[in-house]
Amino acid sequence: MNFNASRNVGQASGPRKAKRVSDVSVMGAPSPVQAFTPPGTFEQGYAQAGPPPPYQQGIQLDPNQDFGSPAPAHLLLDFGYMPGYPQTMPTPANIGSMIQQPIIQDMAMQYGNQLAAQGREAVSRELGRFVPVSRLRYYFAVDTRYVLRKLILIIFPYTHKEWMVKYDQESPVQPRYDVNAPDLYIPSMGYVTYVLLAGFMLGIQHRFSPEQISIQASSALAYIIFEMVLYLMTLYITNTTTALKTLDLLAFSGYKYTTMIASLLAALLLGSMGYYCSLIYCSLALSFFLVKTLRLQLLAGSQGPEQPAYGGYPSNYGNPNPYTDNWAKPSSSGTKRRVYFLLFVAITQPLLSWWLTYHLVPSAPSISPAR
Amino acid sequence: MLTLWNLFEASLLCLNAVCVLHEERFMQKMGWGANNRNQGFEDQSSMKYQVLNLVRSIRTVTRIPLIILNILTIIFKLLLG
Repeated sequence: MNFNASRNVGQASGPRKAKRVSDVSVMGAPSPVQAFTPPGTFEQGYAQAGPPPPYQQGIQLDPNQDFGSPAPAHLLLDFGYMPGYPQTMPTPANIGSMIQQPIIQDMAMQYGNQLAAQGREAVSRELGRFVPVSRLRYYFAVDTRYVLRKLILIIFPYTHKEWMVKYDQESPVQPRYDVNAPDLYIPSMGYVTYVLLAGFMLGIQHRFSPEQISIQASSALAYIIFEMVLYLMTLYITNTTTALKTLDLLAFSGYKYTTMIASLLAALLLGSMGYYCSLIYCSLALSFFLVKTLRLQLLAGSQGPEQPAYGGYPSNYGNPNPYTDNWAKPSSSGTKRRVYFLLFVAITQPLLSWWLTYHLVPSAPSISPAR
Repeated sequence: MLTLWNLFEASLLCLNAVCVLHEERFMQKMGWGANNRNQGFEDQSSMKYQVLNLVRSIRTVTRIPLIILNILTIIFKLLLG
């Protein structure tokens, strides 16, 4: 921010002539009192583009202006006990009493608010360049019913019939309204729960120390990053075009935390036998869920959303589709690559969920019900 | 255990490995040169083309930042072991 709101405040402190902006910037703001120009006039943002409002005439940098001369008409910051110029800079004793004035406090608050607003605007602008915030908001638009149904779906997907995501004018509907839509709430909560549960399990086996929490957390995060990079590189190198976005992929790979947490809980209750049984069952369920969900998104290729065929997906390919004017028939090699990618995802998810949990499993049931 | 620091080190080493592949002495000998290949437009969907394109872009983009990152990592490891 190059606009120095306190330029030109050197008037009262002696014959300091400001000829250039850089001079004044170097001089700085000698007195805190006079620096508070009313912020309501600064609506133009950072760079002062328009003409200054009338009672800011003191701000103009006039090379011929002698700041040492008395100019009470230029400043409306007339505090009553600075009746005229020239006046020396307020002594430290005076500053204390001046700051007590309510008008100064109001102006200080307004100035602070304005600075905060500008800072917030700058931060959100910069952040918006790197992270697509509006897209993120879509993924967190969930409610309790959706979370419950989705968790049940991940653990037991075998009775679910319709896997197609409902569309709402070319964009997918929010997860709140459709249980098939991906979301990022469950993965992020799952990540936190996994870290806490890992700490708990280490504590039960007397292997815990506070550094372990951060080690587990950063390890899980590193695996997430590694997995995402692996998937993206695979998609890029094999030149597979899908309708799957990066955040969707992140969401789907985060669903394995549910598997891991369920397996860890089973390990707590039933020991390592329970852990392996639960891991195998939940992995199968997760793979089934991922295959069903991703098949529709991957194999749709680059075509836009169309009327979902609710008769099940065998009608999507094979039969002549009544909506074929939108259907870009995927090339056979492209389809094959997509199928392989789907298999790749479906296999690495259980493997990773095993890899991330097996070192936490106690060898004997730690919490035995019949004590 | 794969921590964030290990991931950073591993990726730094991999990027270094990609950047030291010499264009003249190695790539062209193996037929992976970026300029003199027959770059017909029907070639652009093969995996080899994608990989070589990726290597070339990584090399162009990360040459300078990699120098800085390497220096920082060397200093860091010297000081903290």
